[in-house]
Amino acid sequence: MAETLKNYIGGKWTASDAKRALDVRNPATGEAIARVPLSTAGEVRSAVAAAKAAFPAWRETPPLVRARYMFRLKALLEEHFEDLARTVTAEHGKIIDEARGEVRRAIENVEVAAGVPSLMMGYNAEDIAVGIDEDCVFQPIGVFACVAPFNFPAMVPFWFLPYAVACGDTYVVKPSEVCPMSQSRLFELLDAADLPPGVVNLVNGDKEAVDALLADPDVAGVSFVGSTPVGRYIYATAAAHGKRAQCQAGAKNALVVMPDAVIDRTVAAILTSAYGTAGQRCLAGSLVVAVGDVYEPLKAELVRAASRIKVGDGLDESTQMGPVVSKKSLDRILSYIEKGLAEGARLLLDGRKVKVEGYPNGYFVGPTLFDCVRPEMTIAREEIFGPVLGIVRVDTFDEAVATIEALPYGNAASLFTSSGKWAREFRYCVPCGNVGINVGIAAPIASFPFAGMKDSFFGDLHGQGRDAIQFFTDRKVVITRWF
Amino acid sequence: MELGTFGAILRSALDLESRAAAFYRAGARGDLEELFRRLAEGSEKRTKELERARREGVAEMILESISGLEADSYAVVLDPAADEEKRIEQGVRFEEATARFYRDAGAKMPIREIVRLFERLAKENDLRRERLTA
Repeated sequence: MAETLKNYIGGKWTASDAKRALDVRNPATGEAIARVPLSTAGEVRSAVAAAKAAFPAWRETPPLVRARYMFRLKALLEEHFEDLARTVTAEHGKIIDEARGEVRRAIENVEVAAGVPSLMMGYNAEDIAVGIDEDCVFQPIGVFACVAPFNFPAMVPFWFLPYAVACGDTYVVKPSEVCPMSQSRLFELLDAADLPPGVVNLVNGDKEAVDALLADPDVAGVSFVGSTPVGRYIYATAAAHGKRAQCQAGAKNALVVMPDAVIDRTVAAILTSAYGTAGQRCLAGSLVVAVGDVYEPLKAELVRAASRIKVGDGLDESTQMGPVVSKKSLDRILSYIEKGLAEGARLLLDGRKVKVEGYPNGYFVGPTLFDCVRPEMTIAREEIFGPVLGIVRVDTFDEAVATIEALPYGNAASLFTSSGKWAREFRYCVPCGNVGINVGIAAPIASFPFAGMKDSFFGDLHGQGRDAIQFFTDRKVVITRWF
Repeated sequence: MELGTFGAILRSALDLESRAAAFYRAGARGDLEELFRRLAEGSEKRTKELERARREGVAEMILESISGLEADSYAVVLDPAADEEKRIEQGVRFEEATARFYRDAGAKMPIREIVRLFERLAKENDLRRERLTA
């Protein structure tokens, strides 16, 4: 029988008393591999209370000592690296390489957060008036929480948690109820790192748990990654309760290909962007904007290369694309393919036909490629979150940029070119937070913020790096005069 | 089997090193005891380097598919129970095939640290082959 996941509250693993629970399914096989409880508001309150109780002593713990916990955690993560990656693949479906990349990025965030003794340093000025000095210190605030998505179940909470904890705050994670197992494994390692009870807490659940976090007066701030409607709701609700919020939301990312692009390298990058993690990245390219004469050769090469992608179980090292996360996702993606056809796009590669031998119950959809996509079509405007790529043809660079500007989202955009001039123009003007030049997945490393604009982000300070340090601290200014 | 991913290539490299270590360990006897023992230790060390590379070298933004590399092209039969002459012959063929694997795979890898590692391992295989024939 599949294990029922527990909550981690106040340094103890606790069975939930929730009446509701869900199966966690391996997307490659469809089989239930765990049960996740949908915890009650009362359980959330207990987690927040534990975090609140731990805060005074934790904030007094010197940053150097807090950093040592990060070093211990890093060592544990390295030791259990492969097991963590396999857990990510088992519950999410992404191929094992992608899962390893995800765990790597989680570790990188721990490594960067370990620099907190320097990152948290304030600044000062003497003689701001005669005999008066002024200091600015960074102080931790209290209890923070994270509402995590299914697509990077190990990494996303680690855009936030290591920084919050290193800064002296205490933390509550609410993992995705679709993919909650990775966080349970990570919390086993946090437990092994011997953090004081209550510094980190894990509560499994769904909207009830999220609403309890948002309404709790002892939660100072919330970090969220997920869809735009939910991001907007969390941002508004958190603000209404006087909390800080940083909400990474949906995306519709364009990959612009100029006539002078290096086609074979460009196509390899586009395929990784569009079909990696079965298109379930918020940085996934979902529109190729072909400029001028590059259209025909690019299209031909995309069809040729995408049709060779091997779809299968992500734990098989030879697989190049895994299943999508759930039956619900699969159905939604298939409905978008239908919409694309109904609105007049031409299907060059039909992922609906894919069959994976030995996996009759897996949630597989193959690489799908549409041509003749126009910017007003649903598949050109809405986030599909699946391996569906559309080709839009334009005549000029300016038209390509206008296509991006017209999208409601501003998460990422990439340009493929050999021209420094076009590259400079593109990075300067596109209204997107993460820009790639000859890079299909513009994924910021841990010391840079994971940016986002327009309907792709609600808030001001982003996850990772220096933004995270600012989000998890207050600036206090002290003006001193001695008589 | 086609080696179409970063992970598949690293898995294949680890399999080669694991086979090498097992062959040299089991075949370390008689006049070849010292040489084979050292070669086995070398393979075990290389395994650790490859495991670390797989863990640390993976970069999501350039995890591009790879084509044109088949694991079967580098298969060599190893029999540690064979006589001394045959064991040396097999060892030489294995080191040659493994060097070729690292050079072919390195040429297709999008991650420069891994390319450098593979180039170094291939050179080591050349030296190991020389030691077997010295």
